[in-house]
Amino acid sequence: MNTKSRQWFLVFCTLPALIIFSIFALYPFFQAIVMAFYDWSGMSDEVTFIGLKNFETLIHDPKVWTALTNNVFLLLVVPTITMGFSLLFAVLLTRRKLRETTFYRTIFFFPNVLAIVVISILWSFIYHPTFGILNSFLEAAGLNSWIHAWLGEKSTVLWALIFPMVWQAIGYYMIIYIAAIQGIPNDIYEAAVIDGASEWKQFTHMTVPLIWGILRITIIFFFIQVFNQSFVYIQVMTDGGPDGSSEILMTYMYKQAFQNGNFGYAMAVGVFMLFISLTLSFISDRLMGRDAVEY
Amino acid sequence: MKRTWIMLCILTLVATMFAGCGNSKPAAEETIKGGETTTQTSKDEEGKPDFENKELNIAVFEGGFGRAYWEEVISRFEQEYQGVKVNMTSNPKIMDIIKPQIVAGNPPDFIYAPMTDNTGTVQTMIKEKALLELNDVFDSTLTGESAPLKDKMVDSILNYAAPHSDGKIVVAPFNISTLGMWYNADLFEKKGWKAPETWDELFAMHDTAQQDGRFLFTYQGIYPTYNDNIVFPSIASAGGQQAIEDAASYKEGAFQSDAVRKVFGLFDTIAQKGYLMPGTVAMNHTQAQTEFLKGKALFIPNGSWFEGEMKDAPREEGFRFGFMAPPIFNKGDDRYALTVYEGLFIPKKAKNPELAKEFIKFQYRDDSIKLNAEKTTGIVAVKNASGLVKDFVPESVYNSIKIFEEGVKPLIFQWNVTPKTEININKEMFDAISSVMNKDMTVEQWIERMEGYATKLRELSQ
Repeated sequence: MNTKSRQWFLVFCTLPALIIFSIFALYPFFQAIVMAFYDWSGMSDEVTFIGLKNFETLIHDPKVWTALTNNVFLLLVVPTITMGFSLLFAVLLTRRKLRETTFYRTIFFFPNVLAIVVISILWSFIYHPTFGILNSFLEAAGLNSWIHAWLGEKSTVLWALIFPMVWQAIGYYMIIYIAAIQGIPNDIYEAAVIDGASEWKQFTHMTVPLIWGILRITIIFFFIQVFNQSFVYIQVMTDGGPDGSSEILMTYMYKQAFQNGNFGYAMAVGVFMLFISLTLSFISDRLMGRDAVEY
Repeated sequence: MKRTWIMLCILTLVATMFAGCGNSKPAAEETIKGGETTTQTSKDEEGKPDFENKELNIAVFEGGFGRAYWEEVISRFEQEYQGVKVNMTSNPKIMDIIKPQIVAGNPPDFIYAPMTDNTGTVQTMIKEKALLELNDVFDSTLTGESAPLKDKMVDSILNYAAPHSDGKIVVAPFNISTLGMWYNADLFEKKGWKAPETWDELFAMHDTAQQDGRFLFTYQGIYPTYNDNIVFPSIASAGGQQAIEDAASYKEGAFQSDAVRKVFGLFDTIAQKGYLMPGTVAMNHTQAQTEFLKGKALFIPNGSWFEGEMKDAPREEGFRFGFMAPPIFNKGDDRYALTVYEGLFIPKKAKNPELAKEFIKFQYRDDSIKLNAEKTTGIVAVKNASGLVKDFVPESVYNSIKIFEEGVKPLIFQWNVTPKTEININKEMFDAISSVMNKDMTVEQWIERMEGYATKLRELSQ
């Protein structure tokens, strides 16, 4: 095969994917940005250009800022907890020679194969105020003052949403970290043990630096995942309540677009979200700029 | 040879994709035809009302009432209007299906959907004045009847069918549902309790209920809008129609009126005195309704679809659905019950509006109304409906319309239409109930919040 026909072949192979990607990903993406500058209900053929007016409304809309605060809260807390637990389990399952390793691996990974809607429904029954397992447990333990309507109170609702998210994600990241740790040659650890390094020293001075590249990637994953998936949890478990206190930008955008017939404004919220996620990935890239150690 | 093959495949692929994406007319029309159910036979072209265009495309919301009525009524309609061909698309998500057609300026000729359609399509079409005026339909007289159709309709319902207050009717009200409060009729009978007439009587039941291991009240938790069943009729009862109209038109001080203060106060009383079933705020509608059926709470707001909706849910032994309009403040006050309806619409850009109007008229014939009740248990918004449908609907549904013969007045509530805004005042009004129940908000703060939003909407409308 000469180079030219090879090139043609490559073009043919990539073209279908490229076309599908352009139509179903790129085109709607740019269309969404464009629509943010229009007054459109999403339902009619009447579309009016209004410039930056949607963004002006957005800046003065207190609901957007509450939603953003909730988004940021979730973005900070969920990845931190998930990463902590996943790393802990990964290290325990690889460095400690447990006999039940496979069993734990399956158990921890299990939530990951469930649909998020199923998880949300499951957890809204765990939190059920009268016969939920959580409140029943607290009652049995004599901690009656700890009983809450978890999803119905402003002070508890966000934390109550965090646990299902963490529970769902731990297994996935644990598997990634296990794979990374298993890639570290064992003789390094043996040498460290001979030199008298404690488990904690081994973890902070060897494991973490050696899998740093993977950790970096998973942090980006975390951001994307929390940003996208939290919509489903909130939609099913609280509908943004009580009184808007678990509203996030995605649910607010959805409500503006599909319940309030204000598509243009919803797209403006979408563009705002795009801006935030770009900033986030930029910041995370900067913060994590330290290079991975090679072995 | 191979390359030609690949080329061909790609070309086909590309061609199909572009065909699917373009909003060209033929493609859209084909989708509609895909949903048709009737057979295509050539008929005589001599039916009495003659229409040039004999093809009618209709879009039908397939909710709890299903599609059986529409299949039957279409075949009756086609029989009477010879040569006419009705193509039906029916789906539980019908609005999502026809939305692209509406956006492309190629809507169906006829739409049947609830006014509360959760995609907001209906409300948006009303807002954008994209619906055809139907006044001539209601001014006309049905075959075999003496009075014009508008006199057959439930009193004053047509006022709400003209939402722009310009007298132009754009909605033909179809099935109506009554909303109110539900209790366990069997339990009340056994214990010798009476359904309360006033709020004082209702609150007085608290001690009795507690001794019986029950709470007084619950509602659909994370969806507090269900309380509109209580709020709007109670405002009307305390302050008359005027109080309701002031609120619906965002009039200055409307939410500071005594009537609104009294009604908001009811929820404060429920919260402060512990009348609410604990945990209500965190439940979804199914969870709260199940708790109610199991006897955890005496009263819950809901619409006349309640029995059908919960037919598979567990309940306490002997449970029977009891319905009442929300209580009044003082004996002798007018008692109201909230009524919602589903609508029939013709988009302004419909291809065959005249035939669609005939189709709408056809739905209001007595035999169609009976057929509807028989197939769906739905009740059409006409005056003598309870008489027409008595044999076909469950007792709880029948009771929910019988209250109007016992002196309760129907109330339809619609917020005045404003230009597009990010404010959803209805949601704001009822979301506050969660905060009141959690004791995070006082009645004064609730009023202040509503006045604030009302001011913004008022300024927007000017």
